[in-house]
Amino acid sequence: MNARLGWLVLAGAGLVWAVVASTGTPVPDALREMFTGAFGTPAGWRETFKESTPLLVLGASVFWALKAGLFNIGADGQYVVGGLAAAVVGLRVPGPAGVLTGTLAGVGAGAAWAFLPGWIKAYRGGHEVITTIMMNNIGRLMATALAAGVLKAPGQQNAETPLLPDATTLPNLVHNGAFRLSWAFPIGLLVVVGMAFYFGRTVGGFEASATGANPRASRFAGIDVRTATLRAMLASGAVAGLAGALQVFAVKHQFNADFSPGYGFDALGVALLAAGQAWIVIPSALLFGALARGTSALSILGVPKGLNGVLLGIVVLVFAAVRYRKEVAARG
Amino acid sequence: MVSPIVQLAVSTAIFSAPLVLGGLGALASERSGVINIGIEGKMLFAAWAAAFGGLVSGNPVVGLVCAILAATVVSQAHWALTQLFGIDHVISGMGLNAVAAGATSLLSKTLLAPYAGAKAAALPLPFFWVAAVLAALGAAFVLHRTRGGLHLLAVGHDPDKARQAGLRPVAVRFKALLFTGLLAGLAGALLISNARGFTDNMTSGRGYIALAALILGGWRPWPTFAACLLFGFADALQLQFQGTPLWGASIPVEAWQCLPYVATVVALAAKWGGTKAPAGLGRP
Repeated sequence: MNARLGWLVLAGAGLVWAVVASTGTPVPDALREMFTGAFGTPAGWRETFKESTPLLVLGASVFWALKAGLFNIGADGQYVVGGLAAAVVGLRVPGPAGVLTGTLAGVGAGAAWAFLPGWIKAYRGGHEVITTIMMNNIGRLMATALAAGVLKAPGQQNAETPLLPDATTLPNLVHNGAFRLSWAFPIGLLVVVGMAFYFGRTVGGFEASATGANPRASRFAGIDVRTATLRAMLASGAVAGLAGALQVFAVKHQFNADFSPGYGFDALGVALLAAGQAWIVIPSALLFGALARGTSALSILGVPKGLNGVLLGIVVLVFAAVRYRKEVAARG
Repeated sequence: MVSPIVQLAVSTAIFSAPLVLGGLGALASERSGVINIGIEGKMLFAAWAAAFGGLVSGNPVVGLVCAILAATVVSQAHWALTQLFGIDHVISGMGLNAVAAGATSLLSKTLLAPYAGAKAAALPLPFFWVAAVLAALGAAFVLHRTRGGLHLLAVGHDPDKARQAGLRPVAVRFKALLFTGLLAGLAGALLISNARGFTDNMTSGRGYIALAALILGGWRPWPTFAACLLFGFADALQLQFQGTPLWGASIPVEAWQCLPYVATVVALAAKWGGTKAPAGLGRP
């Protein structure tokens, strides 16, 4: 098996090498540029944290479901409707109260968007991967229609809501020259801490992870598997909605049609990399954030952004080969 | 002036055909026990290759061959990841989708850049319509009437029993995924026939819709074909009624575009389909 794994790593590295080389940039230069782009300057660190924050919170969201044995591919849609709800409430309630109620609205909207897939999985046996992907499309289309229609900022061409007043935003925790860190990041850390406590120390958390590990055994052990499933999906949706709200109040200050550049899918990678250990979501989100930042820094050298997807996919595949193996039964 | 009925029928065919090809491609793999969330990436990579082949050679057949080769490479990579490395099927599918989305976006900006504005040579759409119907006929025949098809069903239903009966699931799945590659390649080439050039993420979730159709169709060829027609019809309706007010109210385009997705969720909630999943799905 180890020899096989070596081949997989080699194939992955070879693929990345070929893809970078096809752009005409020498690979060592590209690697150096990626690293300094993400960690070399205060502005680089700022962007790395900015990219990591939604991935941290969404990573926690996907992790929550994964722990209960659910692939929440729908985090992306839950994030989008969460952001939309937060912006709508934030525009109507001024000041810090708007941030608070808007965040709650985002959390509620995310949970609501996760309800149907969770219910269908628990009580109807319909696979959550399909239903959450459908809910993603519905959420994205609905949010676009609203941002281009009734919610559109007056006099704007693009599908975007008006900007929130400064009083209704989350301030920066640190603002030091080119380096900035928003409050959204420590809030994300808190979510991870809360999640680690929930899975490590509470009955509900134990029931959820038992269900994820072996639903049949859990049923015989007297755990209400259906409720545990639905509860995990709702929690996952709520956290994804929170990620959307934080992005609105801390970063974007509005909702617009391209609110998510596919964060939900990157978050799946973050959660998979954490491999069942809540704490690992933090370094994993930072790694993916740095990859995203590093590859966008590479665009100066003429390497298009698609490299990020390639790297992300290969990291997930190689890691999954180590961690998410099913026993390959007798050769043949 | 073409009558609206004919127009609706033609656009239904245009929208359904990639779903039929992708859906039946996924069927070959899922009936053998390999979950195929990666069909999206296979179609996308095939579309890129069809554009590349069609632009560089100016020959539509070369484009098609490139598409099939590209989808086959991804499909067999999926086989290796799930069957040799034993990686979880959904995770490896999603990983391949990410690699395909990233690589095609990057390669279109490098290798396809010199051809900006040029139209890729591609086979006419009716070729793919015929291919889609033949694929459904072929799938129904091969699955239930041939030795290979029955082996495939046996492996997908219960790999352990199949093993005891002397079959090698890993080998049967290798062949099944070759069919997946062939059909996903056709689906990708079809997208290029329609658009005549590659744009980033041009499959835009069609692979996932095809998978939903497969589940609604209960993993059977003809019902899957019908579900794809239904999704294609919803898309065609959307195109037809865009901007037309309904009972005095203007309906946003997006509301029409939501139709197939809403239909899928409703269908799964009502427990149509989804009950006859191959028992060996995702098992080693």
